[in-house]
Amino acid sequence: MLLIPCPFCGPRDESEFICGGPVRPPRPDPAQTSDADWTDWLIQAPNPVGPVQEHWWHARGCGVWLTLWRDTRSHEIVAGASDDG
Amino acid sequence: MRYDVTITPLPTMALFDLKGRAEALRDWAGAALPPFPDRPNSACGDGQGILMWLGPEHWILRADLDREQALEATLRPAEAPPDLSIVRVSDTLAFFRITGPEADAILAIACPLDLHPTRFGPDGASFTRAFGVSALVAQYTEGFDLAVARSYAPMLTRALAEAAG
Repeated sequence: MLLIPCPFCGPRDESEFICGGPVRPPRPDPAQTSDADWTDWLIQAPNPVGPVQEHWWHARGCGVWLTLWRDTRSHEIVAGASDDG
Repeated sequence: MRYDVTITPLPTMALFDLKGRAEALRDWAGAALPPFPDRPNSACGDGQGILMWLGPEHWILRADLDREQALEATLRPAEAPPDLSIVRVSDTLAFFRITGPEADAILAIACPLDLHPTRFGPDGASFTRAFGVSALVAQYTEGFDLAVARSYAPMLTRALAEAAG
């Protein structure tokens, strides 16, 4: 069970949140990128072994969307390069 | 195990959902609103009503039902400027008051909130989850008030009774 740091409420139980999936890389310009890269961006969600940046929604709380880094090996919230999402 | 608590359904209250900047709401509503709480997830009352700060630019005003019409006349939801949202939600939530020396034990069963006084003080108010559904929890002098969507009231009545033992 995660204790998720909500910027409004402080640390809250994971069960109050809904995961919004991983943060995707910036959308490429389909006219400037190859078909393969464009298809990859459309259908391949980041799923690394290690830290992944994710969106979480405090749906049963204050309603804030936040991003955090979670290590897929340990399920722990870890420090990441950026919390911007 | 039986807990030393009393669970009381509360009568319908006047509730207004307020969204927008605090300054803009204060300018619009004037003296109709109690002082704004200065901390997230806390409440502030003036004897006539209680204002709970439950999210970024999101408050709920709670008062006795007999003040509903006067509050609606003052808050003028239909005429509010576009940067404010004022909605009467009195009929949407069913409140239960949980009092007694072991009220916090029932809350600990119901919801995942950290009820330690350093995290959820005597003026605490927050949205959370109770028995699996979205809920509003507010501190009361001798316990807690717990509110859920009115359609879940029968479920919550049973769940609280089972939790109390």
